Amino acid sequence: MQTTPALADPDIQADTLRRAAIDKSVKGPVLFLFLNAAFWLMASTILGVVAAMKLFVPSFLGDCQILQYGRLQPTHINALVYGWGVQAALGIMLWIMARRSGQELTRGKSVMYVAGVFWNIAVTLGLLGILFGHSTSMEWMEMPKFVWPILLISFLAFAWPMTTMFGRAFRPEGFMVSTWYILGACFWFPWIFITANVALHCFQPGLGALGAGINAWYVHTLVLLFFTPVAIGSAYYFIPKITGQPVASDQLSKAGFWMLAILAGWTGMQHYMGGPLPAWMPAIGAMTGVLLLIPVGLVGWNHHLTTLGQHHLVATSPTLRFIFVGAMFYPVSGAVLALLSAFSTGATLQFTHAWYGFQIIAIYGFFSMCAFGAIYYIVPRVAGCEWLSVRLIRNHFWFSVYGIATVVVMSLVAGMQQGGDLNHPDMWDQDFMQLTWNSQGYMMARAIAWLLITWSNVWFLIHLMLMVAGLGRRSSAPTLLEREHGDTLPHGANA
Amino acid sequence: MSDFRKFILSLALSFGLPWLFLIVIPVVKYQALTPTLYDKDRDGVEGIYPPAPINRQGQLVYAREGCVQCHTQMIRPPQLALDAWRKGWGQDQEVRPAAPVRSNTLQDYLGEPFAFLGVQRNGPDLTNYGWRAPARGVIHQKLFEPRSQHSWSNMPALKHLYVVRKAQGPDADKSLKLTGKYAPKPGYEVVPTPEAEALVDYLLSLKKDYLIPGTGAAVATAAPAKK
Repeated sequence: MQTTPALADPDIQADTLRRAAIDKSVKGPVLFLFLNAAFWLMASTILGVVAAMKLFVPSFLGDCQILQYGRLQPTHINALVYGWGVQAALGIMLWIMARRSGQELTRGKSVMYVAGVFWNIAVTLGLLGILFGHSTSMEWMEMPKFVWPILLISFLAFAWPMTTMFGRAFRPEGFMVSTWYILGACFWFPWIFITANVALHCFQPGLGALGAGINAWYVHTLVLLFFTPVAIGSAYYFIPKITGQPVASDQLSKAGFWMLAILAGWTGMQHYMGGPLPAWMPAIGAMTGVLLLIPVGLVGWNHHLTTLGQHHLVATSPTLRFIFVGAMFYPVSGAVLALLSAFSTGATLQFTHAWYGFQIIAIYGFFSMCAFGAIYYIVPRVAGCEWLSVRLIRNHFWFSVYGIATVVVMSLVAGMQQGGDLNHPDMWDQDFMQLTWNSQGYMMARAIAWLLITWSNVWFLIHLMLMVAGLGRRSSAPTLLEREHGDTLPHGANA
Repeated sequence: MSDFRKFILSLALSFGLPWLFLIVIPVVKYQALTPTLYDKDRDGVEGIYPPAPINRQGQLVYAREGCVQCHTQMIRPPQLALDAWRKGWGQDQEVRPAAPVRSNTLQDYLGEPFAFLGVQRNGPDLTNYGWRAPARGVIHQKLFEPRSQHSWSNMPALKHLYVVRKAQGPDADKSLKLTGKYAPKPGYEVVPTPEAEALVDYLLSLKKDYLIPGTGAAVATAAPAKK
């Protein structure tokens, strides 16, 4: 108990009590969001298995209309994005913002519950809508038209209290980089979401091919200006906290943030390079998609410098372990985006499985790994008990890492193969037999990888449910993956 | 507070710029986009461009079944990809067409609420499918059971768009010609629902390589000097 002498200090004691009060004030909404998110994640991974199976055994589970690939695949992605992604992000944002502004959440909590319930109802209806034949077939916006206003209002019910809470706060330490990102996410999501939905759902008679461009812009900006900021924000928050070292470079943080803010809004249209859009649109998307390598590299380097010398903690702390991998996936997903964006490589990878690989590495490899790390940190503090089992956390970690790496690598290689098959001059008069055969092995690997991930998520969900039910370990010491002799983590890591 | 305000303003500015130039202005401009008239002297044809609208009812079926997940509707230019040289992907069904299929313009999709350019190309591109489409019955057979035509196909069988019913007298005109293990039980026949008919109408209406007004025969013969 290395904290015993520290507790005697009245300042630290008051500080601990203040933190506990803040944690308690956000407990309900945060746990509600995490639990529902974990449930959707589970649903999404199972759908991922079936959708991958459908690509090489089309009659798997029969020819039932609900389970056709064209309906399953969007359901799988939408469950991942709106069911898991946005909800987990909101929970993390809420907790970090409450801690960062040093204030208890006083008002708006009941509204948050209502919003949370409505969010889940809307997602459920939306996904059932896709499965039962009301899909719009716009990427990431396949859910029927009526869903988006509910999602928007629910999101604002969370984002608005966060922003005002932060606006009221007294900040002696000034702005911290993690809050930039999270405030940015609060601000960008509604803007992107309203723009895309109004443009694609409210214009009569619609926007034709420009609509497709806006759709691609929506997917890219949502990844880069919502999921990315939340993930980096939590990495910037938790890495210094656990390693006990300040963020390595203020300048790198600033440059990484503002370059992302300036560049990301231009990306997206390169998805339809060589298509009907005016040529400058894909061109500027391709340019910014490649230029994003700079902020991505800067942030990755900054995280690396912050972790430097404390790598043994990656083995010990579950939070740092997940966030370390998540932060590593950031440069990797940036590189994949650059490959998809540049015309030279993008023309081969366009319309292939590589695009799926990018979505999965961005949402699962990068964002979700950071989110898992944050959840492993936040839940014990708000639930008032510690994670039950080291083995369950390890299971979750290794099955996720190997599963995701397999899905992503298989999708990228399958994409190269497919792009080669599509564009090879010898294929000019061939049908799609070769292409179908060549992709089979990769799709089998994808199905197996999603099975591994499903396995990891089963344990994550059960573990989280036990924690939410308050059945965790009663202990003042956190659950660490490896116990070192002597002291384990710096004081800040337990705060 | 001023810090906070400055921060929000900078965010608004940095994102507002792409938002304005990439989304708002193009949307406003797109509203002004109208079909253009062919000039008989210049283009050699009469009428409006784009000439034939797509079948919207069928497009709704196309959307809800998620066909976009595997089928694109966009021909890329030859310097980027092979699309334009693929056999039968344009109006010219010759084995070796004289010129590549032209890539698409914004106007090709005019009047479509949303252009289904597609997510992946696990199956053939359908931009100009109407030109190469076989008889209706063959398309229906493909939609009902793709593996009855190609054993390797991984396309979903859209059986719910068809009705298996007791044959009343001789087979109806519309009934599908299925053989072997895909044939219905004796005395039964498979007929398309109106939705399947609409989907086929839509597929047959996919012709997006009509001559662009003002380009003359330049695109077709790849000889831009002779304008």
